[in-house]
Amino acid sequence: MRSPRLFSLLLLAVLLCLPFGVAQEPRKRNPFVQPPFGRRPAEKKAEPAAEAKDFANKPTAEQVRFFEAKIRPVLVEQCYKCHATDSEKIRANLTLDTRQGIRSGGDTGPTIVPGHPQKSLLIDVMTTKESERMMPPKQRLSDEVIADFKKWVEMGAPDPRDGVARVVVKNDIDIEKGKQFWSFQHPSKTKITISDAKGKSEVDRILADARVAKGLTTVAPADPVALIRRLYVDLIGLPATAEQVEAFVRNPTPEAYANVVDELLASPHFGERWGRHWLDVARYAESTGKAVNFNYPHAWRYRDYVIAAYNADKPFDLFVKEQLAGDLLTAKDDRDREENIVATGFLAIGSKNINERNRLQFELDLVDEQIDVFSQAFLGITAACARCHDHKFDPIPTKDYYALAGIFRSTETCYGTIRAVQGQHPSPLMTLPDSGIEDGLKPLSKSEVERLEKQLADLRQELRDLQRKSIQDSFLSVNGVRLRIQTATIEGRLSQYEKDGTPKRLAMGTRERFRTFNSPVYGRGEPDKPGEVVSRGFLQVMTDRQPTIRRGSGRMELANWVASPDNPLTARVYVNRMWLHLFGRGLVNTPDNFGTTGSAPSSQMLLDHLALRFMNDGWSTKKLIKELVSTEAYQLATTYEPKNFERDPENSLLWRMTPERLDAEVIRDALLAVAGNLNRSPAKGSPVHANGEGYAIPRGRPALFGGPPPEDTHRSVYLPIVRDNVPESLTLFDAADPNLIVGNRVNTTVPAQALFLMNNPFVIKQSDLVASKLITNFGSDSQRIREAYRMVYGRNPTNAEVETSEAFVAKYSARHTRRETWTAFAQALFGSAEFLMRN
Amino acid sequence: MFDRRQMLQTTGSGFGFLAFSALAHQAAAREAANPLAPKPPHFPAKAKRVIFLCMEGGPSHVDMFDHKPKLSSDDGKSYAGARGRVFGGKLLGSPWTFKKHGKSGIPMSELFPELARHADDLTMLNACYTDIPNHPQAFLQMHCGLFQFPRPSLGSWILYGLGTSNENLPGFVTISPPNNNGGPANYGSNFLPAIYQGTKIGGGGFGAYGGGGSGSVSNIKNPRQSTRDQRQQLDFMQELNKNSLQQTGHNPAVEGLIESYELAFRMQAELPKALDVSGETRKTLELYGIGSGGAAAGGRFGNAGGGPGGRRGGPDTFGRQCLMARRLIESGVRFVEVTRGGWDQHRNLKDDLAGNCESIDKPIAGLLADLKQRGLLKDTLVIWGGEFGRTPYAQGTDGRDHNSKGYTMWMAGGGTKAGFVHGKTDDYGHEAVEGKVHVHDWHATVLHLLGLDHEKLTYRHAGRDFRLTDVKGNVVKEIVA
Repeated sequence: MRSPRLFSLLLLAVLLCLPFGVAQEPRKRNPFVQPPFGRRPAEKKAEPAAEAKDFANKPTAEQVRFFEAKIRPVLVEQCYKCHATDSEKIRANLTLDTRQGIRSGGDTGPTIVPGHPQKSLLIDVMTTKESERMMPPKQRLSDEVIADFKKWVEMGAPDPRDGVARVVVKNDIDIEKGKQFWSFQHPSKTKITISDAKGKSEVDRILADARVAKGLTTVAPADPVALIRRLYVDLIGLPATAEQVEAFVRNPTPEAYANVVDELLASPHFGERWGRHWLDVARYAESTGKAVNFNYPHAWRYRDYVIAAYNADKPFDLFVKEQLAGDLLTAKDDRDREENIVATGFLAIGSKNINERNRLQFELDLVDEQIDVFSQAFLGITAACARCHDHKFDPIPTKDYYALAGIFRSTETCYGTIRAVQGQHPSPLMTLPDSGIEDGLKPLSKSEVERLEKQLADLRQELRDLQRKSIQDSFLSVNGVRLRIQTATIEGRLSQYEKDGTPKRLAMGTRERFRTFNSPVYGRGEPDKPGEVVSRGFLQVMTDRQPTIRRGSGRMELANWVASPDNPLTARVYVNRMWLHLFGRGLVNTPDNFGTTGSAPSSQMLLDHLALRFMNDGWSTKKLIKELVSTEAYQLATTYEPKNFERDPENSLLWRMTPERLDAEVIRDALLAVAGNLNRSPAKGSPVHANGEGYAIPRGRPALFGGPPPEDTHRSVYLPIVRDNVPESLTLFDAADPNLIVGNRVNTTVPAQALFLMNNPFVIKQSDLVASKLITNFGSDSQRIREAYRMVYGRNPTNAEVETSEAFVAKYSARHTRRETWTAFAQALFGSAEFLMRN
Repeated sequence: MFDRRQMLQTTGSGFGFLAFSALAHQAAAREAANPLAPKPPHFPAKAKRVIFLCMEGGPSHVDMFDHKPKLSSDDGKSYAGARGRVFGGKLLGSPWTFKKHGKSGIPMSELFPELARHADDLTMLNACYTDIPNHPQAFLQMHCGLFQFPRPSLGSWILYGLGTSNENLPGFVTISPPNNNGGPANYGSNFLPAIYQGTKIGGGGFGAYGGGGSGSVSNIKNPRQSTRDQRQQLDFMQELNKNSLQQTGHNPAVEGLIESYELAFRMQAELPKALDVSGETRKTLELYGIGSGGAAAGGRFGNAGGGPGGRRGGPDTFGRQCLMARRLIESGVRFVEVTRGGWDQHRNLKDDLAGNCESIDKPIAGLLADLKQRGLLKDTLVIWGGEFGRTPYAQGTDGRDHNSKGYTMWMAGGGTKAGFVHGKTDDYGHEAVEGKVHVHDWHATVLHLLGLDHEKLTYRHAGRDFRLTDVKGNVVKEIVA
């Protein structure tokens, strides 16, 4: 609907159809697609003259008899279920119950060419050997029936049936109508009315009004212990120590609270916690995933970039621009330039079907993945749905999809990987300036380089010998495959270093292609069905003006468009994400989908207020978080209250704080922290980096890849994230699956988690470390119990708890050593709700 | 069946919290919402559970089940249909002779002397086809319907659709799945809730950063505590949890946690029991071919097909796995998959294929006989097949290439026709020509046999309803008894 003329025509058409009413609504429809027209007399006028003449040829009586005896019963029996005016759901927009319908055809063109059975689609689908095209779909018609149909078409397809086909309108999406949807409208200050209430924040006042309307009352504020523990977990993802809790409990004033907030926001651990939230959305991983899984040895740089961005409170609009077009931004210095390049890793770290044989298919899939992540992460829109057809629910025509695709297809994505058995699409990587950022990769010594080169030369020689003997064996024999894998692996390792053994400074990212071009629309998304070429551009429903892309891919223009205060979605989607991580549920409960199939905001006013405020505050994440954790709503207790629960079980209006199990990373980090075993410094690089290019999941011989890594006690955000092989300690507790864009993790409680907490050596080891401290540092059982509570829960035990604990210790130690007893005791505390839950 | 009363009895006197009247109705409500609780199918159906014998690598149908006399008579002739690969291309008649078996006269090659006795129990799908003649894609597609996008696997969909009848065991178990060709995605739940994912037993346990890997079920056994010790510890822990619950009031997360510990505790006892075949009679063990070699090659849980060593392992390993499968479904597990790799005979066809078949022939025949004698075959769907078949033309002189255009899978029991052949490939067994069954059709049919309508078994994700069969799939009604 790019041309205004076309649009006005369509509008006219809408008006025309109004008086005639609307035919039965199909079950599920895109609200932005024009409803089907009723049967209207005007329809005949629209018929081309030739068709009209055909219609005038009245069939002879004999022809009618043939039709009635041989053709119509078959059509009724076999076809009408899906292809008749009154079908519940008309398939392929094709109706066969009128003469007009059968002649004009559906999505795939005219059904019959009178007189030419060979050219008639109807005969073709009846006789085809491809079962996916065959009609009727389940059972081939008998040869006899097919012969009748051929004969009938040969006769000129005489058809006595009157009536006008239900004209099935093509999915012409009405963009202007689409713009009326709430999320495509700009948040507006004038629509926000905040009642007066002294001393309350604006957020609280909006919530209070909304609660009144629903008859909800808030529960009491959280007690200081719960509150301060909540704050530590939420802001830095580490448990508060007993001393930290006590310091606040002694003086639980708003000022003291604000001081703790500031302190935590300034902690380097803040970025590790909140960066991880963004990595969920950015489907961060260090391998291609999919059928054959190859390493991304340089992905970790993007991880570190994100963590640093959160620690530096990088304005979100800049954060967006860097991730979409950092390579095109002007840099102050090398460090800045490095950051900008690494940021574009966002577009490169997606999963890839590296074993795809068709190059174009691979490219289109790669671009599709980019459109998917960019549109959901920043805009909360599932634009990738429009790859094969107009979006079924949102006002996004396929053309818009390919307008975006043109931008990404004019961009070169640099992700690495090697050519190897099943590795078909290696790409270059981005070379970084030397900015002094450490990457943890040690230079190879001269002898190491020589050893590897020698090994490589030997392998190549062996392979050549094998090839000379038998080309076939070199590809197919176990030995041949082994040689190829080993060769590729060493090549992959060496590709990380300069000739002298210095590690190369490489990154994943994007850059402009030499030539830019506009993409055709691919019919049903299939590479062999290119259609009309569309100019690069943005989603029409979210913009009044298409960009003028003068040179380059248009990525810079795209980034500016996304990161603009005029974009109705970017700020809303982001503040909703931040809200969700603090309150357990988004104001829009589908954080990656603000379209019509997403859920409506529980309070649009609140969402818009926050979005406007956020942009006004210079897109500052830390300011936003501070505002949110300072609200009364955030500081409520988790108390269950039946009346409120009945009215608002999801707690969408925050009548209390929702209790939840801790995130996977927090559980693991807290175990390590309590045991005094957490390495609090950031990891340098990643084990995947050290492994180099090659297969992420070993094929054939494990020995090639070394065993599992030694115990890694860094914070969980630094653990290697290999697709389909994420550490168990994370996946079991619902860490984000990096194959998906995860705005909102699920929060399950399953026996596999219990088994982990009961039996996993990692958990037992941390419990053992706690036991060792208790035994060494404290003399009596009651002291040890007290200390264990302080270490694990950050508080002293009650008298009753001391009693229960003493009883357990007495019972258990009757048959176990002291060390075993205290390990079992500590493990029980770790496995308990108080440790695992955030209250 | 999981039963509240039983559970309270078995969980010990120190653990009566569920009896608290204040909690009783909430617990009941929770049970109603238990995602694993058995659910009625969409329509009545015979099959209640599935054993999928997954042959990773692409078994050569023209040497096993799809008899092609013309291929033998044209042996050595060049073949126009051979393309894509550089090597060979001459037609290769099967080195094995075929005979018709049973009343149904289903042809099978001499590679399956034992299975042949069960010809009248089988429904052959001789015209299967898939999209891509490449292991990773085809293997993923066989499990998840698509390979382009990550999707939940067949077993997860079935568990989601029907729930499971023994809560002390996982509802979907996969024995010795491969690490590559999509790895865990082949038994992953993807966007379905995590509870529906497959529980891996043994298999290519080596993953650089994966957990478990010890050749058994992850974390199923405590490395140091006895059951009694652990019960004591657990009682203490549950007391702590009970205190938390009393403080916050109704809290599904804590209640769920309490229950998950009890389930896990029972699972620790039940799962190894279900997998332990040592209590089976000698007769049963012999029936499955257990004890007749091969144990050393793969180990008890080992992936027999993982490497060259496993190829001629004899029937012991696979026999044990089949017996475990029977024990699992007998205990109420909904979907059990057993993977046997090593069917990728680009070369060494004569030796390797014979070895492979020997290692599965007796176990499968034993499984069918055993299921039958226990009255389980009528409502257990047994499926055999791999991600594609092999070409009628040779690679070199003693090998065959991947063939996605036509191959054989078969089913037995669970409401399928007994002694029935559906579909046909061309004269050489290269391309399916009649009664074609695409992977989507196969999925639709499996679901249908379980009483699930593949168009109705949907899950809402990212704003739309997803299905195992995407937008495709036709039930092969012809094979339904």
